Amino acid sequence: MIRHLVLFTGYELKKSFSNPVWPLFGILQPVLYLLMFAPLLKDLTPGGSTVDALRMFTPASMMMIAVFGSLFSGFGLIAELRNGSLERYAVSPAWRPAIVLGRVAKDMVVLVCQAILVLVVAVAMGVRIGGVELVLVLALMAATGLFASGLSQGLALTVRDENGMSQTLNLFMLPIMLLAGLFIPISFAPGWMRAIAPVNPLYHAVEAGRALFAGRLGDPSIPIAFALFIVLAVLTTIWSMRSLRRIAG
Amino acid sequence: MIIEARELRKTFTTRSRKGSQTVEAVRGIDLDVEKGEIFGVLGPNGAGKTTTIRMLATLITPDSGTAVIAGHDLRAEPGAVRRKLGYVSQAGGVEDTTSARAQIMMAARIHDVADPRQATADVLERFDLTEMADRPGRTLSGGQKRRVAIALGLVHAPPLLFLDEPTTGLDPQNHANLWDRIRQLREAGTSVLLSTHYLDEADVLCDRLVIVDHGRIVAEGTPGELKREVSGDVVTLRLDEPERAAEALRPLAREVRVDEDALRVYVDDGEHTLPALLRLLEEHGIALRSIALDRSTLDDVFLAKTGRSLRDTGAAA
Repeated sequence: MIRHLVLFTGYELKKSFSNPVWPLFGILQPVLYLLMFAPLLKDLTPGGSTVDALRMFTPASMMMIAVFGSLFSGFGLIAELRNGSLERYAVSPAWRPAIVLGRVAKDMVVLVCQAILVLVVAVAMGVRIGGVELVLVLALMAATGLFASGLSQGLALTVRDENGMSQTLNLFMLPIMLLAGLFIPISFAPGWMRAIAPVNPLYHAVEAGRALFAGRLGDPSIPIAFALFIVLAVLTTIWSMRSLRRIAG
Repeated sequence: MIIEARELRKTFTTRSRKGSQTVEAVRGIDLDVEKGEIFGVLGPNGAGKTTTIRMLATLITPDSGTAVIAGHDLRAEPGAVRRKLGYVSQAGGVEDTTSARAQIMMAARIHDVADPRQATADVLERFDLTEMADRPGRTLSGGQKRRVAIALGLVHAPPLLFLDEPTTGLDPQNHANLWDRIRQLREAGTSVLLSTHYLDEADVLCDRLVIVDHGRIVAEGTPGELKREVSGDVVTLRLDEPERAAEALRPLAREVRVDEDALRVYVDDGEHTLPALLRLLEEHGIALRSIALDRSTLDDVFLAKTGRSLRDTGAAA
Protein backbone atom coordinates (compact mmCIF):
# COMPACT_ATOMS: atom_id res chain seq x y z
CA MET A 1 0.00 0.00 0.00
CA ILE A 2 2.50 2.57 1.21
CA ARG A 3 5.01 1.33 -1.34
CA HIS A 4 2.56 1.94 -4.17
CA LEU A 5 1.70 5.36 -2.77
CA VAL A 6 5.39 6.29 -2.76
CA LEU A 7 5.77 4.81 -6.24
CA PHE A 8 2.91 6.85 -7.69
CA THR A 9 3.93 10.03 -5.88
CA GLY A 10 7.47 9.70 -7.23
CA TYR A 11 6.19 8.99 -10.72
CA GLU A 12 3.90 12.02 -10.70
CA LEU A 13 6.64 14.26 -9.33
CA LYS A 14 9.04 13.08 -11.99
CA LYS A 15 6.39 13.78 -14.58
CA SER A 16 5.85 17.30 -13.22
CA PHE A 17 9.51 18.12 -13.17
CA SER A 18 10.46 16.39 -16.43
CA ASN A 19 9.77 19.75 -18.05
CA PRO A 20 10.90 22.20 -15.37
CA VAL A 21 9.37 25.22 -17.09
CA TRP A 22 5.77 24.54 -16.09
CA PRO A 23 6.33 23.98 -12.38
CA LEU A 24 8.59 27.02 -12.41
CA PHE A 25 5.74 29.11 -13.80
CA GLY A 26 3.46 27.63 -11.19
CA ILE A 27 5.89 28.60 -8.46
CA LEU A 28 6.49 32.08 -9.83
CA GLN A 29 2.83 32.98 -9.96
CA PRO A 30 2.29 33.47 -6.23
CA VAL A 31 5.54 35.43 -6.00
CA LEU A 32 4.32 37.75 -8.74
CA TYR A 33 1.08 38.23 -6.85
CA LEU A 34 3.02 39.17 -3.77
CA LEU A 35 5.30 41.59 -5.57
CA MET A 36 2.61 43.28 -7.60
CA PHE A 37 -0.50 43.09 -5.46
CA ALA A 38 0.79 44.04 -2.05
CA PRO A 39 1.86 47.55 -3.12
CA LEU A 40 -1.64 48.06 -4.56
CA LEU A 41 -3.20 47.12 -1.26
CA LYS A 42 -0.97 49.39 0.74
CA ASP A 43 -3.44 52.26 0.99
CA LEU A 44 -6.29 49.97 1.95
CA THR A 45 -4.55 48.50 4.98
CA PRO A 46 -4.67 49.98 8.41
CA GLY A 47 -1.17 51.27 9.13
CA GLY A 48 -0.56 51.93 5.48
CA SER A 49 2.94 50.42 5.13
CA THR A 50 3.93 47.72 2.63
CA VAL A 51 4.75 45.37 5.51
CA ASP A 52 1.25 45.83 6.93
CA ALA A 53 -0.20 45.13 3.53
CA LEU A 54 2.00 42.04 3.18
CA ARG A 55 0.92 40.79 6.56
CA MET A 56 -2.64 40.87 5.24
CA PHE A 57 -1.85 39.58 1.82
CA THR A 58 0.79 36.87 2.36
CA PRO A 59 -1.53 34.46 4.20
CA ALA A 60 -4.23 35.18 1.63
CA SER A 61 -1.91 34.45 -1.26
CA MET A 62 -0.76 31.22 0.40
CA MET A 63 -4.34 30.01 0.72
CA MET A 64 -4.93 31.08 -2.83
CA ILE A 65 -2.07 28.94 -4.12
CA ALA A 66 -3.28 26.08 -1.98
CA VAL A 67 -6.78 26.19 -3.44
CA PHE A 68 -6.34 27.34 -6.99
CA GLY A 69 -3.08 25.58 -7.75
CA SER A 70 -4.50 22.25 -6.67
CA LEU A 71 -7.94 22.75 -8.18
CA PHE A 72 -6.50 22.47 -11.67
CA SER A 73 -4.49 19.32 -11.09
CA GLY A 74 -7.48 17.14 -12.01
CA PHE A 75 -7.03 18.07 -15.66
CA GLY A 76 -4.12 15.65 -15.82
CA LEU A 77 -6.44 12.88 -14.75
CA ILE A 78 -8.85 13.61 -17.61
CA ALA A 79 -5.97 13.27 -20.10
CA GLU A 80 -5.05 9.92 -18.56
CA LEU A 81 -8.65 8.81 -18.67
CA ARG A 82 -8.64 9.54 -22.37
CA ASN A 83 -5.35 7.91 -23.29
CA GLY A 84 -6.28 4.79 -21.37
CA SER A 85 -3.41 4.85 -18.88
CA LEU A 86 -5.76 5.21 -15.92
CA GLU A 87 -7.54 2.07 -17.04
CA ARG A 88 -4.19 0.36 -17.41
CA TYR A 89 -3.27 1.20 -13.82
CA ALA A 90 -6.70 0.04 -12.66
CA VAL A 91 -6.04 -3.42 -14.14
CA SER A 92 -2.59 -3.58 -12.56
CA PRO A 93 -2.09 -4.91 -9.04
CA ALA A 94 -1.53 -1.35 -7.82
CA TRP A 95 -3.30 -0.37 -4.63
CA ARG A 96 -6.09 1.59 -6.27
CA PRO A 97 -6.28 4.58 -3.91
CA ALA A 98 -2.57 5.15 -4.61
CA ILE A 99 -3.39 5.98 -8.24
CA VAL A 100 -5.29 9.07 -7.09
CA LEU A 101 -3.48 9.70 -3.81
CA GLY A 102 -0.13 9.82 -5.61
CA ARG A 103 -1.39 12.84 -7.49
CA VAL A 104 -2.71 14.48 -4.37
CA ALA A 105 0.61 13.88 -2.64
CA LYS A 106 2.46 15.35 -5.62
CA ASP A 107 0.28 18.47 -5.35
CA MET A 108 1.22 18.73 -1.67
CA VAL A 109 4.94 18.60 -2.44
CA VAL A 110 4.59 21.29 -5.09
CA LEU A 111 2.53 23.31 -2.65
CA VAL A 112 5.18 23.21 0.04
CA CYS A 113 7.82 24.38 -2.46
CA GLN A 114 5.59 27.27 -3.46
CA ALA A 115 4.82 28.15 0.16
CA ILE A 116 8.48 28.26 1.09
CA LEU A 117 9.22 30.52 -1.86
CA VAL A 118 6.38 32.87 -0.94
CA LEU A 119 7.57 32.98 2.66
CA VAL A 120 11.13 33.72 1.61
CA VAL A 121 9.94 36.63 -0.52
CA ALA A 122 7.64 37.89 2.23
CA VAL A 123 10.41 37.72 4.82
CA ALA A 124 12.75 39.48 2.43
CA MET A 125 10.17 42.23 2.15
CA GLY A 126 10.04 42.64 5.90
CA VAL A 127 7.31 40.34 7.19
CA ARG A 128 8.13 38.46 10.40
CA ILE A 129 6.41 35.35 11.72
CA GLY A 130 7.05 33.13 14.76
CA GLY A 131 8.10 29.47 14.53
CA VAL A 132 4.87 27.97 15.88
CA GLU A 133 2.81 30.25 13.68
CA LEU A 134 4.89 29.28 10.66
CA VAL A 135 4.32 25.57 11.20
CA LEU A 136 0.60 26.16 11.74
CA VAL A 137 0.31 28.27 8.60
CA LEU A 138 2.01 25.54 6.56
CA ALA A 139 -0.21 22.87 8.09
CA LEU A 140 -3.34 24.86 7.37
CA MET A 141 -2.18 25.42 3.84
CA ALA A 142 -1.57 21.71 3.39
CA ALA A 143 -5.07 20.88 4.63
CA THR A 144 -6.55 23.47 2.28
CA GLY A 145 -4.52 22.10 -0.63
CA LEU A 146 -5.50 18.55 0.21
CA PHE A 147 -9.15 19.58 0.13
CA ALA A 148 -8.75 21.33 -3.24
CA SER A 149 -6.69 18.55 -4.82
CA GLY A 150 -9.13 15.86 -3.68
CA LEU A 151 -12.01 17.94 -4.99
CA SER A 152 -10.26 18.39 -8.32
CA GLN A 153 -9.48 14.69 -8.82
CA GLY A 154 -13.02 13.74 -7.84
CA LEU A 155 -14.48 16.36 -10.15
CA ALA A 156 -12.26 15.23 -13.02
CA LEU A 157 -13.36 11.60 -12.64
CA THR A 158 -17.00 12.68 -12.43
CA VAL A 159 -17.13 15.31 -15.18
CA ARG A 160 -14.59 13.50 -17.44
CA ASP A 161 -14.38 16.38 -19.87
CA GLU A 162 -11.95 19.31 -20.00
CA ASN A 163 -14.58 21.82 -21.07
CA GLY A 164 -17.10 20.85 -18.45
CA MET A 165 -14.37 20.85 -15.84
CA SER A 166 -13.06 24.34 -16.63
CA GLN A 167 -16.60 25.76 -16.76
CA THR A 168 -17.41 24.22 -13.41
CA LEU A 169 -14.22 25.56 -11.84
CA ASN A 170 -14.71 29.05 -13.27
CA LEU A 171 -18.22 29.23 -11.95
CA PHE A 172 -17.09 28.63 -8.40
CA MET A 173 -13.77 30.42 -8.40
CA LEU A 174 -14.83 34.06 -8.48
CA PRO A 175 -17.39 33.97 -5.64
CA ILE A 176 -15.13 31.81 -3.48
CA MET A 177 -12.21 34.14 -4.08
CA LEU A 178 -14.08 37.36 -3.37
CA LEU A 179 -16.05 36.01 -0.45
CA ALA A 180 -12.87 34.83 1.21
CA GLY A 181 -11.47 38.34 1.22
CA LEU A 182 -8.39 37.06 -0.54
CA PHE A 183 -7.40 40.30 -2.20
CA ILE A 184 -9.62 42.80 -0.48
CA PRO A 185 -10.44 42.15 3.17
CA ILE A 186 -14.08 41.27 3.68
CA SER A 187 -14.47 44.18 6.11
CA PHE A 188 -14.70 46.44 3.06
CA ALA A 189 -17.65 44.48 1.74
CA PRO A 190 -21.31 45.48 2.05
CA GLY A 191 -23.36 43.94 4.86
CA TRP A 192 -24.93 41.11 2.83
CA MET A 193 -21.55 39.92 1.63
CA ARG A 194 -20.16 40.00 5.12
CA ALA A 195 -23.17 37.99 6.25
CA ILE A 196 -22.67 35.18 3.75
CA ALA A 197 -18.85 35.13 3.82
CA PRO A 198 -18.66 32.66 6.73
CA VAL A 199 -20.44 30.07 4.57
CA ASN A 200 -17.33 30.01 2.39
CA PRO A 201 -14.80 27.69 4.01
CA LEU A 202 -11.90 29.55 2.45
CA TYR A 203 -12.93 32.67 4.37
CA HIS A 204 -12.03 30.91 7.61
CA ALA A 205 -8.71 29.71 6.26
CA VAL A 206 -7.76 33.23 5.23
CA GLU A 207 -8.90 34.67 8.57
CA ALA A 208 -6.87 32.05 10.43
CA GLY A 209 -3.86 32.72 8.24
CA ARG A 210 -4.05 36.43 8.96
CA ALA A 211 -4.39 35.76 12.70
CA LEU A 212 -1.27 33.59 12.54
CA PHE A 213 0.73 36.19 10.65
CA ALA A 214 -0.40 38.77 13.20
CA GLY A 215 0.82 36.49 15.98
CA ARG A 216 -2.64 36.05 17.55
CA LEU A 217 -2.33 32.35 18.41
CA GLY A 218 -5.45 32.42 20.58
CA ASP A 219 -7.70 33.65 17.79
CA PRO A 220 -10.84 31.44 17.50
CA SER A 221 -10.59 31.48 13.70
CA ILE A 222 -7.57 29.13 13.92
CA PRO A 223 -9.29 26.07 15.44
CA ILE A 224 -12.38 26.72 13.29
CA ALA A 225 -10.28 26.75 10.10
CA PHE A 226 -8.35 23.63 11.07
CA ALA A 227 -11.45 21.66 12.03
CA LEU A 228 -13.23 22.72 8.87
CA PHE A 229 -10.42 21.91 6.48
CA ILE A 230 -9.40 18.65 8.05
CA VAL A 231 -12.98 17.42 7.68
CA LEU A 232 -13.30 18.79 4.15
CA ALA A 233 -9.94 17.36 3.10
CA VAL A 234 -10.87 13.92 4.40
CA LEU A 235 -14.22 14.08 2.62
CA THR A 236 -12.87 15.16 -0.76
CA THR A 237 -9.98 12.70 -0.58
CA ILE A 238 -12.37 9.83 0.08
CA TRP A 239 -14.59 11.07 -2.72
CA SER A 240 -11.70 11.20 -5.17
CA MET A 241 -10.66 7.65 -4.29
CA ARG A 242 -14.21 6.40 -4.64
CA SER A 243 -14.63 8.19 -7.97
CA LEU A 244 -12.02 5.86 -9.39
CA ARG A 245 -14.71 3.20 -9.27
CA ARG A 246 -16.42 5.00 -12.10
CA ILE A 247 -13.67 3.90 -14.44
CA ALA A 248 -13.14 0.54 -12.77
CA GLY A 249 -15.59 -1.57 -10.80
CA MET B 1 -7.65 -23.74 -19.43
CA ILE B 2 -6.56 -20.19 -18.79
CA ILE B 3 -9.99 -18.59 -19.17
CA GLU B 4 -13.19 -20.39 -18.33
CA ALA B 5 -16.16 -18.03 -18.46
CA ARG B 6 -19.78 -19.04 -18.09
CA GLU B 7 -22.91 -17.06 -18.90
CA LEU B 8 -21.36 -13.62 -18.54
CA ARG B 9 -23.92 -10.86 -18.73
CA LYS B 10 -23.76 -7.09 -18.55
CA THR B 11 -26.47 -4.51 -19.00
CA PHE B 12 -25.74 -0.79 -19.03
CA THR B 13 -28.23 1.87 -18.13
CA THR B 14 -27.67 5.23 -19.74
CA ARG B 15 -29.56 8.21 -18.45
CA SER B 16 -30.39 11.11 -20.69
CA ARG B 17 -33.05 13.79 -20.92
CA LYS B 18 -35.31 11.37 -22.74
CA GLY B 19 -35.26 9.00 -19.80
CA SER B 20 -33.15 6.00 -19.00
CA GLN B 21 -32.23 3.43 -21.60
CA THR B 22 -30.90 -0.02 -20.99
CA VAL B 23 -28.45 -1.68 -23.33
CA GLU B 24 -27.81 -5.38 -23.00
CA ALA B 25 -24.18 -5.28 -24.01
CA VAL B 26 -23.36 -8.89 -23.20
CA ARG B 27 -26.12 -11.50 -23.02
CA GLY B 28 -24.62 -14.73 -21.79
CA ILE B 29 -21.16 -15.40 -23.14
CA ASP B 30 -19.18 -18.59 -22.50
CA LEU B 31 -15.48 -18.69 -23.28
CA ASP B 32 -12.95 -21.50 -22.97
CA VAL B 33 -9.43 -20.38 -23.76
CA GLU B 34 -6.65 -22.97 -23.65
CA LYS B 35 -3.22 -22.19 -22.28
CA GLY B 36 -0.87 -20.90 -24.96
CA GLU B 37 -3.41 -20.23 -27.67
CA ILE B 38 -4.40 -17.03 -29.42
CA PHE B 39 -8.12 -16.78 -28.96
CA GLY B 40 -10.15 -14.26 -30.92
CA VAL B 41 -13.42 -12.49 -30.31
CA LEU B 42 -14.64 -11.34 -33.72
CA GLY B 43 -17.64 -9.14 -34.24
CA PRO B 44 -18.91 -5.80 -35.48
CA ASN B 45 -18.63 -2.62 -33.42
CA GLY B 46 -21.06 -2.70 -30.52
CA ALA B 47 -21.24 -6.50 -30.42
CA GLY B 48 -20.03 -6.57 -26.81
CA LYS B 49 -16.37 -7.44 -27.43
CA THR B 50 -14.87 -4.65 -25.36
CA THR B 51 -17.39 -5.12 -22.57
CA THR B 52 -16.50 -8.82 -22.42
CA ILE B 53 -12.77 -8.08 -22.23
CA ARG B 54 -13.30 -5.34 -19.64
CA MET B 55 -15.28 -7.76 -17.48
CA LEU B 56 -12.58 -10.42 -17.73
CA ALA B 57 -9.92 -7.78 -16.94
CA THR B 58 -11.69 -6.89 -13.64
CA LEU B 59 -12.55 -3.38 -14.87
CA ILE B 60 -16.31 -3.86 -14.73
CA THR B 61 -18.29 -6.33 -12.69
CA PRO B 62 -20.53 -8.71 -14.60
CA ASP B 63 -24.24 -8.60 -13.68
CA SER B 64 -24.21 -12.38 -13.61
CA GLY B 65 -22.08 -15.31 -14.68
CA THR B 66 -18.76 -16.67 -13.50
CA ALA B 67 -15.22 -16.73 -14.77
CA VAL B 68 -12.02 -18.41 -13.68
CA ILE B 69 -8.91 -16.74 -15.04
CA ALA B 70 -5.48 -18.29 -14.66
CA GLY B 71 -6.84 -20.33 -11.78
CA HIS B 72 -8.48 -17.47 -9.89
CA ASP B 73 -12.13 -16.63 -9.57
CA LEU B 74 -12.94 -13.29 -11.19
CA ARG B 75 -15.34 -12.13 -8.47
CA ALA B 76 -13.69 -13.62 -5.41
CA GLU B 77 -10.06 -12.76 -6.19
CA PRO B 78 -9.85 -9.84 -8.62
CA GLY B 79 -6.46 -8.90 -7.15
CA ALA B 80 -4.98 -12.31 -7.95
CA VAL B 81 -6.45 -12.14 -11.47
CA ARG B 82 -4.84 -8.72 -12.04
CA ARG B 83 -1.42 -10.10 -11.16
CA LYS B 84 -1.73 -12.68 -13.97
CA LEU B 85 -2.87 -10.25 -16.62
CA GLY B 86 -1.46 -7.96 -19.22
CA TYR B 87 -4.12 -5.63 -20.51
CA VAL B 88 -3.84 -3.51 -23.63
CA SER B 89 -6.94 -1.40 -24.13
CA GLN B 90 -8.16 0.03 -27.39
CA ALA B 91 -6.87 3.46 -26.32
CA GLY B 92 -3.49 1.90 -25.57
CA GLY B 93 -2.71 3.62 -22.30
CA VAL B 94 0.45 5.36 -23.47
CA GLU B 95 0.93 8.64 -21.61
CA ASP B 96 1.81 11.77 -23.57
CA THR B 97 4.43 13.54 -21.51
CA THR B 98 6.46 10.67 -20.11
CA SER B 99 8.93 8.54 -22.02
CA ALA B 100 8.13 4.97 -23.00
CA ARG B 101 10.97 3.80 -20.77
CA ALA B 102 9.65 5.62 -17.69
CA GLN B 103 6.15 4.29 -18.25
CA ILE B 104 7.26 0.71 -18.78
CA MET B 105 9.58 0.90 -15.76
CA MET B 106 6.66 2.14 -13.65
CA ALA B 107 4.50 -0.76 -14.88
CA ALA B 108 7.31 -3.19 -13.99
CA ARG B 109 7.62 -1.72 -10.49
CA ILE B 110 3.89 -1.95 -9.85
CA HIS B 111 4.06 -5.61 -10.79
CA ASP B 112 7.02 -6.22 -8.46
CA VAL B 113 9.27 -7.34 -11.29
CA ALA B 114 12.60 -8.45 -9.78
CA ASP B 115 14.81 -6.22 -11.94
CA PRO B 116 12.56 -3.52 -13.42
CA ARG B 117 15.40 -1.77 -15.27
CA GLN B 118 16.51 -4.94 -17.03
CA ALA B 119 12.94 -6.10 -17.75
CA THR B 120 12.18 -2.69 -19.28
CA ALA B 121 15.30 -2.76 -21.44
CA ASP B 122 14.46 -6.30 -22.57
CA VAL B 123 10.90 -5.57 -23.58
CA LEU B 124 11.94 -2.34 -25.36
CA GLU B 125 14.54 -4.33 -27.29
CA ARG B 126 12.03 -7.04 -28.13
CA PHE B 127 9.62 -4.52 -29.65
CA ASP B 128 12.34 -2.52 -31.45
CA LEU B 129 11.68 0.51 -29.29
CA THR B 130 15.12 1.11 -27.82
CA GLU B 131 15.82 4.04 -30.13
CA MET B 132 12.71 5.97 -29.16
CA ALA B 133 12.54 4.77 -25.58
CA ASP B 134 13.37 8.15 -24.11
CA ARG B 135 11.09 10.27 -26.24
CA PRO B 136 7.82 11.49 -24.74
CA GLY B 137 4.83 9.35 -25.70
CA ARG B 138 3.13 12.02 -27.75
CA THR B 139 6.01 12.15 -30.28
CA LEU B 140 5.65 8.49 -31.26
CA SER B 141 3.92 7.32 -34.45
CA GLY B 142 0.73 5.26 -34.31
CA GLY B 143 2.58 2.00 -34.87
CA GLN B 144 5.29 2.80 -32.32
CA LYS B 145 2.68 3.81 -29.75
CA ARG B 146 0.87 0.53 -30.27
CA ARG B 147 4.12 -1.36 -29.69
CA VAL B 148 4.73 0.62 -26.50
CA ALA B 149 1.17 -0.24 -25.42
CA ILE B 150 1.87 -3.95 -25.86
CA ALA B 151 5.27 -3.66 -24.19
CA LEU B 152 3.50 -2.03 -21.22
CA GLY B 153 1.24 -5.06 -20.98
CA LEU B 154 4.07 -7.56 -21.28
CA VAL B 155 6.91 -6.21 -19.13
CA HIS B 156 5.89 -8.40 -16.18
CA ALA B 157 5.70 -11.50 -18.41
CA PRO B 158 2.04 -12.31 -17.67
CA PRO B 159 0.74 -15.76 -18.61
CA LEU B 160 -2.30 -14.09 -20.22
CA LEU B 161 -2.50 -10.99 -22.40
CA PHE B 162 -5.70 -9.16 -23.38
CA LEU B 163 -5.53 -7.20 -26.62
CA ASP B 164 -8.59 -5.09 -27.37
CA GLU B 165 -8.64 -4.27 -31.09
CA PRO B 166 -4.84 -4.21 -31.36
CA THR B 167 -4.58 -3.01 -34.96
CA THR B 168 -7.51 -0.59 -35.19
CA GLY B 169 -6.30 2.68 -36.67
CA LEU B 170 -3.01 1.30 -37.96
CA ASP B 171 -2.05 1.17 -41.62
CA PRO B 172 -1.79 -2.23 -43.38
CA GLN B 173 2.01 -2.50 -43.08
CA ASN B 174 1.77 -2.06 -39.36
CA HIS B 175 -0.95 -4.73 -39.25
CA ALA B 176 1.36 -7.37 -40.66
CA ASN B 177 4.21 -6.29 -38.41
CA LEU B 178 2.02 -6.47 -35.32
CA TRP B 179 0.57 -9.83 -36.31
CA ASP B 180 4.09 -11.26 -36.46
CA ARG B 181 4.79 -9.96 -32.99
CA ILE B 182 1.55 -11.37 -31.61
CA ARG B 183 2.39 -14.75 -33.14
CA GLN B 184 5.75 -14.65 -31.39
CA LEU B 185 3.87 -14.39 -28.10
CA ARG B 186 2.37 -17.80 -28.76
CA GLU B 187 5.84 -19.20 -29.26
CA ALA B 188 6.83 -17.70 -25.91
CA GLY B 189 3.90 -19.51 -24.29
CA THR B 190 1.76 -16.48 -23.56
CA SER B 191 -1.98 -16.98 -23.94
CA VAL B 192 -3.70 -14.17 -25.81
CA LEU B 193 -7.32 -13.10 -25.86
CA LEU B 194 -7.83 -10.61 -28.64
CA SER B 195 -10.87 -8.81 -29.94
CA THR B 196 -11.13 -7.58 -33.48
CA HIS B 197 -13.56 -6.57 -36.16
CA TYR B 198 -11.10 -7.39 -38.93
CA LEU B 199 -11.92 -10.69 -40.65
CA ASP B 200 -8.41 -11.24 -41.97
CA GLU B 201 -6.91 -10.55 -38.56
CA ALA B 202 -9.07 -13.18 -36.88
CA ASP B 203 -8.39 -15.61 -39.71
CA VAL B 204 -4.62 -15.16 -39.85
CA LEU B 205 -3.88 -14.83 -36.17
CA CYS B 206 -6.29 -16.87 -34.07
CA ASP B 207 -6.00 -20.52 -33.16
CA ARG B 208 -9.66 -20.47 -32.20
CA LEU B 209 -12.28 -17.79 -32.10
CA VAL B 210 -15.84 -16.91 -31.28
CA ILE B 211 -17.98 -14.70 -33.46
CA VAL B 212 -20.18 -12.40 -31.42
CA ASP B 213 -23.13 -10.31 -32.44
CA HIS B 214 -25.50 -8.32 -30.23
CA GLY B 215 -23.84 -9.64 -27.09
CA ARG B 216 -24.15 -13.32 -27.99
CA ILE B 217 -21.82 -15.93 -29.42
CA VAL B 218 -23.08 -16.99 -32.82
CA ALA B 219 -20.24 -19.33 -33.78
CA GLU B 220 -17.16 -20.90 -32.22
CA GLY B 221 -14.22 -22.92 -33.53
CA THR B 222 -10.96 -22.68 -35.40
CA PRO B 223 -11.08 -20.33 -38.40
CA GLY B 224 -10.86 -23.40 -40.66
CA GLU B 225 -13.64 -25.29 -38.85
CA LEU B 226 -15.93 -22.31 -38.91
CA LYS B 227 -15.50 -21.76 -42.60
CA ARG B 228 -15.95 -25.44 -43.36
CA GLU B 229 -19.00 -25.70 -41.15
CA VAL B 230 -20.79 -22.97 -42.98
CA SER B 231 -19.94 -23.17 -46.61
CA GLY B 232 -16.73 -25.12 -47.01
CA ASP B 233 -14.50 -24.49 -49.98
CA VAL B 234 -15.75 -24.22 -53.47
CA VAL B 235 -14.01 -25.79 -56.48
CA THR B 236 -15.06 -24.26 -59.77
CA LEU B 237 -14.41 -26.49 -62.79
CA ARG B 238 -14.77 -25.71 -66.46
CA LEU B 239 -15.15 -28.78 -68.60
CA ASP B 240 -16.98 -30.14 -71.62
CA GLU B 241 -19.36 -32.53 -69.92
CA PRO B 242 -20.49 -30.86 -66.73
CA GLU B 243 -23.49 -33.16 -66.22
CA ARG B 244 -21.41 -36.31 -66.41
CA ALA B 245 -18.69 -34.78 -64.23
CA ALA B 246 -21.29 -33.79 -61.63
CA GLU B 247 -22.39 -37.41 -61.35
CA ALA B 248 -18.82 -38.59 -61.04
CA LEU B 249 -17.83 -36.11 -58.36
CA ARG B 250 -20.96 -36.29 -56.22
CA PRO B 251 -19.47 -38.79 -53.71
CA LEU B 252 -16.71 -36.31 -52.80
CA ALA B 253 -18.86 -33.21 -52.47
CA ARG B 254 -21.32 -31.81 -50.07
CA GLU B 255 -23.14 -30.19 -52.90
CA VAL B 256 -22.64 -30.00 -56.67
CA ARG B 257 -24.18 -27.31 -58.80
CA VAL B 258 -24.04 -26.85 -62.56
CA ASP B 259 -23.89 -23.20 -63.59
CA GLU B 260 -24.07 -23.01 -67.38
CA ASP B 261 -20.68 -24.35 -68.51
CA ALA B 262 -19.13 -24.28 -65.02
CA LEU B 263 -19.42 -26.89 -62.35
CA ARG B 264 -19.30 -25.73 -58.73
CA VAL B 265 -18.35 -28.40 -56.27
CA TYR B 266 -18.76 -27.56 -52.56
CA VAL B 267 -16.36 -29.55 -50.44
CA ASP B 268 -15.38 -29.53 -46.78
CA ASP B 269 -11.66 -29.23 -47.27
CA GLY B 270 -10.66 -28.08 -50.71
CA GLU B 271 -6.93 -28.57 -50.38
CA HIS B 272 -7.23 -32.23 -49.49
CA THR B 273 -10.13 -32.98 -51.80
CA LEU B 274 -8.51 -31.56 -54.89
CA PRO B 275 -6.16 -34.50 -55.67
CA ALA B 276 -8.96 -37.04 -55.27
CA LEU B 277 -11.22 -34.91 -57.40
CA LEU B 278 -8.66 -34.74 -60.17
CA ARG B 279 -8.11 -38.49 -59.96
CA LEU B 280 -11.84 -39.18 -60.33
CA LEU B 281 -12.07 -36.99 -63.42
CA GLU B 282 -9.08 -38.83 -64.87
CA GLU B 283 -10.71 -42.23 -64.17
CA HIS B 284 -13.90 -41.14 -65.93
CA GLY B 285 -11.91 -39.74 -68.79
CA ILE B 286 -13.38 -36.24 -68.48
CA ALA B 287 -11.26 -33.47 -69.97
CA LEU B 288 -10.73 -30.45 -67.76
CA ARG B 289 -10.26 -26.93 -69.11
CA SER B 290 -9.66 -25.02 -65.90
CA ILE B 291 -10.00 -25.40 -62.18
CA ALA B 292 -10.15 -22.88 -59.32
CA LEU B 293 -10.30 -23.32 -55.59
CA ASP B 294 -11.91 -20.55 -53.58
CA ARG B 295 -12.04 -20.45 -49.87
CA SER B 296 -15.03 -19.25 -47.97
CA THR B 297 -14.20 -16.40 -45.57
CA LEU B 298 -15.22 -15.71 -42.00
CA ASP B 299 -17.58 -13.18 -43.48
CA ASP B 300 -19.50 -16.09 -45.05
CA VAL B 301 -19.73 -17.54 -41.56
CA PHE B 302 -20.99 -14.26 -40.14
CA LEU B 303 -23.46 -13.97 -43.00
CA ALA B 304 -24.77 -17.48 -42.48
CA LYS B 305 -25.19 -16.98 -38.73
CA THR B 306 -26.62 -13.47 -38.59
CA GLY B 307 -28.05 -12.84 -42.03
CA ARG B 308 -25.82 -9.79 -42.37
CA SER B 309 -22.36 -9.33 -43.76
CA LEU B 310 -19.73 -8.09 -41.34
CA ARG B 311 -18.61 -5.72 -44.08
CA ASP B 312 -22.08 -4.14 -44.08
CA THR B 313 -22.05 -3.46 -40.34
CA GLY B 314 -19.59 -0.63 -40.84
CA ALA B 315 -16.59 -2.68 -39.85
CA ALA B 316 -14.32 -2.69 -42.86
CA ALA B 317 -12.13 -5.72 -43.31
